[in-house]
Amino acid sequence: MPHKIMLIEDDRPILDMMEILLKRIGYEPILVPDVLDALKQVKENPPSLILLDIMMTPINGWEFLDKLRGEYGQKDIPVLLFTASPSVEEKIAELNDSRLGVLQKPVSIIELKAGLEKFLAK
Amino acid sequence: MCGIAYQAVGYYYRYPDYAALTVVTSEAVLFVIIASMISYFIEKIRLGETRYRSIFEHSQLGIALFGRTDFIISQTNTRFLSMLDYSPEEVIGKPFLSLCLTSRDKERFLEKIGKSDATENFETRLATKSGAGYWVNLSWNRVDDATISCTAVNINGRKIAEKLNNDNMMKYSQLTENSPNGILLIQHDSIRFSNPSFSGLTGYGKNELAGKNLADFVDPRDKDEFIEFAKHWSEHKPVHGEKEIRFMTKNGDVRLAALTANSILHLEKPATMINIVDISEKQRLSDKIHEDNERRRGIIVTVAHELRTPLQPILGYLNLLISDPEGFGIVEDTKKILERCLVSVDRERQIINQMLDLSVLDSGKLQLSYSTFQLEPLVKSLLDTGGYLTKAEVTVDIPESVTMTADKDRIYSVIDSLLSNAVSYSKPPRKINIHYSSETDDLYHHISVKDNGIGIEQNAISSIFEPFQLADSAKLSRRYDRIGLSLSIAKKVVQMHSGDISVNSAVNTGSTFTINLPKEMKNAS
Repeated sequence: MPHKIMLIEDDRPILDMMEILLKRIGYEPILVPDVLDALKQVKENPPSLILLDIMMTPINGWEFLDKLRGEYGQKDIPVLLFTASPSVEEKIAELNDSRLGVLQKPVSIIELKAGLEKFLAK
Repeated sequence: MCGIAYQAVGYYYRYPDYAALTVVTSEAVLFVIIASMISYFIEKIRLGETRYRSIFEHSQLGIALFGRTDFIISQTNTRFLSMLDYSPEEVIGKPFLSLCLTSRDKERFLEKIGKSDATENFETRLATKSGAGYWVNLSWNRVDDATISCTAVNINGRKIAEKLNNDNMMKYSQLTENSPNGILLIQHDSIRFSNPSFSGLTGYGKNELAGKNLADFVDPRDKDEFIEFAKHWSEHKPVHGEKEIRFMTKNGDVRLAALTANSILHLEKPATMINIVDISEKQRLSDKIHEDNERRRGIIVTVAHELRTPLQPILGYLNLLISDPEGFGIVEDTKKILERCLVSVDRERQIINQMLDLSVLDSGKLQLSYSTFQLEPLVKSLLDTGGYLTKAEVTVDIPESVTMTADKDRIYSVIDSLLSNAVSYSKPPRKINIHYSSETDDLYHHISVKDNGIGIEQNAISSIFEPFQLADSAKLSRRYDRIGLSLSIAKKVVQMHSGDISVNSAVNTGSTFTINLPKEMKNAS
């Protein structure tokens, strides 16, 4: 069974491309364009890993992460921040969450594959 | 008494009459009584004079008696003489005016005594025997129609101290009048002296400051800190470094100043000289620069985000097409075009990343992550990953045993930048040498990257580490299609490690960039 990768991303072109890319490297993508649906979907269809965009509305990636870990108690699901925003490492270090990492956009297919494998192996 | 008895017996023999004898005897007794009384009063007067003489001679005040009109001194006590170091003969019979130090002192004395026979606390200078001035406080009174009694109190010590103080103040004033810095003299927690610059800083005049505690002018927000700082100097302990304190001006503004304190002696007692530099403007500019940098960084971050995001689908689709050309029906020529597109996308990604790196470095927010690692495997891995072995003939002279403590990823990027630079600014057949050197007692690692490229003009060497500066930039950017950020980033990273990058270059011969990294990292944890 391929790992389920949930991509929470409100940029449609990226979402479409990533669907193909994730399938190509052997994963089962779960695409979530609306961050407000994401928590419900995590509960109903728990993924092996979440790829999480940060700059989204009405709640951003950090707020989603806070709810996921806190209110929803999903502390074990690995989350890779999938963002074009720089300087997220500092905030990641502050959160001290071993199941949290970052993949800086734009990523090549090789970088995506390596990043996912490394994080799923943790 | 014998005389009286003899006289009475004489009378009796000359006039043997009892009545006459009675009269004579009564007269004799009366005479005796009167004589006794006179004797008593004379003794009284003599005792009074002795007492007066004793007081006169032993008084702590100098006393002189002189004529009301001619001012001729008739009498002085020892104290008066010792004050001025004269003997009685040198003073008695001379006019009191001859003791005045200068003609001006004489005029003042005459003016004063001309107005009144009774004067108190007239401060003047008398001349000692040696001609020196001696400050006294004179009070005089008329003793009788012809005589004035004058007392002199020694105020010479106090006057000298006052003069010294005035001289010091004058000296401080002369020394500090044109100083751009505020200068204060503080003694016993009070401002003894302030210069015009401090008045300019606070808006308070010299007289408004004199005698006040400096803490009274400190912004309440900084008062505790100031009191702690002031404790050092008020306890005469050494004060090191400077303290930034906000002052409240007379019109309610706040000025920021840097204070340094030095212990001095003022009138032979410990005091503190405070140097105050108004850094309000400097701080304002610094805040503005910081604000501008933050704004610029904010813009760069936003722009970087907006530039990176659309690259993701392009990069992803190009990767897909190139990874499976047959699957997508792509012919070889099209694949080559797509690969060139991919190179351009990758270059743009690098430029954006460099811009971001530079903005993070400029903001000072980058934290180095230190570890101890072997240099040779790091360089070999870099040569392999970066494909440098296919682009140039690379030789590596790094002993396997070399280890260093630094931020491994950042040093990797620095060497990568130097290698990329060596490749970019040379033509085949490229030759690159990576060399390590350091003696046992050398405090630094030296890693050099030598190429056989186009070299750099001597006058351009100093600017090649500046952001967006390329030596002969227009020509080179056209030739190599690059912007000059990588060297600037590399230098900043090495400087963060307390090291430096040096360069030697000869045009058309090649360049050698050397990374000098300290072996002991002070901030390494």
